[in-house]
Amino acid sequence: MIKDITIGQFFPGNSAVHRLDPRIKFVLTFAAIVFVFVANSAAAIALMTLAVFSVIALTRIPVKLYFKGLKPILVIILITSLLNIFYIRTGNILWSWKFITITDQGLMRSVLIAVRIAVMILISCVLTYTTSPTDLTDAIERLMKPLKVIRVPVHEIAMMMTIALRFVPTLLEETDKITSAQKARGADLESGSLMQRVRAMIPILIPLFVSAFRRAYELAMAMECRCYHGGEGRTRMKQLHMSSRDYVALALGAILFCGVILCNLIPPSL
Amino acid sequence: MEEFIRAEHVDFKYEFENEELPEVLSDVNLGVHRGEFLALLGHNGSGKSTLAKHFNAMLLPTGGKVFVEEMDTADEENKLAIRSRVGLIQQNPDNQLVASIVEEDVAFGPENLGVAPEEIRRRVDDVLKTVGMYEYRRHAPHKLSGGQKQRIAIAGILAMQPECIVLDEPTSMLDPRGRREVLDTVLKLNREKGITIVLITHNMDEAVLADRVVVMDRGKPVFEGTPREVFSQVKRMQSLRLDVPQATELAFELNQAGYPIAPDVLTEEECAQALATLLGKNAV
Repeated sequence: MIKDITIGQFFPGNSAVHRLDPRIKFVLTFAAIVFVFVANSAAAIALMTLAVFSVIALTRIPVKLYFKGLKPILVIILITSLLNIFYIRTGNILWSWKFITITDQGLMRSVLIAVRIAVMILISCVLTYTTSPTDLTDAIERLMKPLKVIRVPVHEIAMMMTIALRFVPTLLEETDKITSAQKARGADLESGSLMQRVRAMIPILIPLFVSAFRRAYELAMAMECRCYHGGEGRTRMKQLHMSSRDYVALALGAILFCGVILCNLIPPSL
Repeated sequence: MEEFIRAEHVDFKYEFENEELPEVLSDVNLGVHRGEFLALLGHNGSGKSTLAKHFNAMLLPTGGKVFVEEMDTADEENKLAIRSRVGLIQQNPDNQLVASIVEEDVAFGPENLGVAPEEIRRRVDDVLKTVGMYEYRRHAPHKLSGGQKQRIAIAGILAMQPECIVLDEPTSMLDPRGRREVLDTVLKLNREKGITIVLITHNMDEAVLADRVVVMDRGKPVFEGTPREVFSQVKRMQSLRLDVPQATELAFELNQAGYPIAPDVLTEEECAQALATLLGKNAV
């Protein structure tokens, strides 16, 4: 059940996108998400969509998996577009019944919102599907380094992310074990009302938390045994190097974003 | 032989909300020689794990002193130097691995010590080959077996290039195969790389591999010797609520029953040999 979630998952590969410097990928993803919202003409949105699908093709990961990543968000997309249809009352009225009015602008707007959210999710999927979690935390740590000046505990945040990523599978496994153990003792987890089922989770969560605290204690000790003393004076085995591929990606990104701004000038703007 | 770690009149008790709990260690005097394989035995609560944590300054004595290469563990400034020389491996391999990729986990120690990136790379490859896990360097730790995880933990310590490794019941959560893998690795480190080993164990067959065995009871070492000297004192071991290897016990029982068999056999092979000789004599 928990294992079916594809968003945030990493699919190892050797494509051009996989081999990009994670920092570049992170920056470009962030910029692309911003530009999805900057784009406000049909042409600009179409350009962004086209660009995203070209990158998806470059990753050589089946498109099916990307749509799987969209699935959990589908409800949110539907609700936001529906709200937009009914909320916007400017433009030519297409259909009206009692308090409900649907206008052409409202319709356009809701389609736009749906496409925007979908494209945004797809962009983040490209990042997480092609970048290993450790590379991602690495990139975040290095990109956030300037924030150290304003006393943001950058190293500590990155360390916490690393440890969280390391223990997610371990704790999932443990949850499965505890669930089986409680079922073997006659716990009923699948039937009853919602409240009853929530209550049935308590005997699973309590042992899980107790064990997580014990693990945290032991891990802290193991880290100290390995001379961990915070980020000061720490080196990293893996160094990140910008290659020509990364500069090409940056340039292409810049061209795309300029294109989006230009396309915004083309009517019909929304 | 030179003493690498020296405990002098070490007392230790935990303090809990200003309430003093009974002493876990009392007046411990013990030396660990450079290059030796020392096994520390004792039943639960004898203080052997507590003592182990004194060897790398994870715990500081409440009385007495512990020295590692003449460095006082109580001196905060020596802490990193001591921990990079004396590594500690714990029972649960799962809770010792920090990163989600094997080689990055192994790199954790040297990264903390500020070693140069190329040197870390070299050390990581080197120690992964030593523990026989090089092919797994890009794997995620949670997909490995217990024995493999424990060997990764050992590699993580080795990457700091320590002179001594203290292992606190490293095989107690492993299956027989994992146990074998870990013990073989430990033996190899001791015999080939000259690394000092302190092995805390419940398993007498593991203690047999050591050069020297120290038996602890109620917070202090009560007697020590070679495995043969220690285990031949079956009565004394039993009075300390400890077992002896099965082969030793069999020989002891036969000896008690009046058969002419030496009670100091250690391994199954020795036992078989002794029995064969015994049976051969009787057959004639």
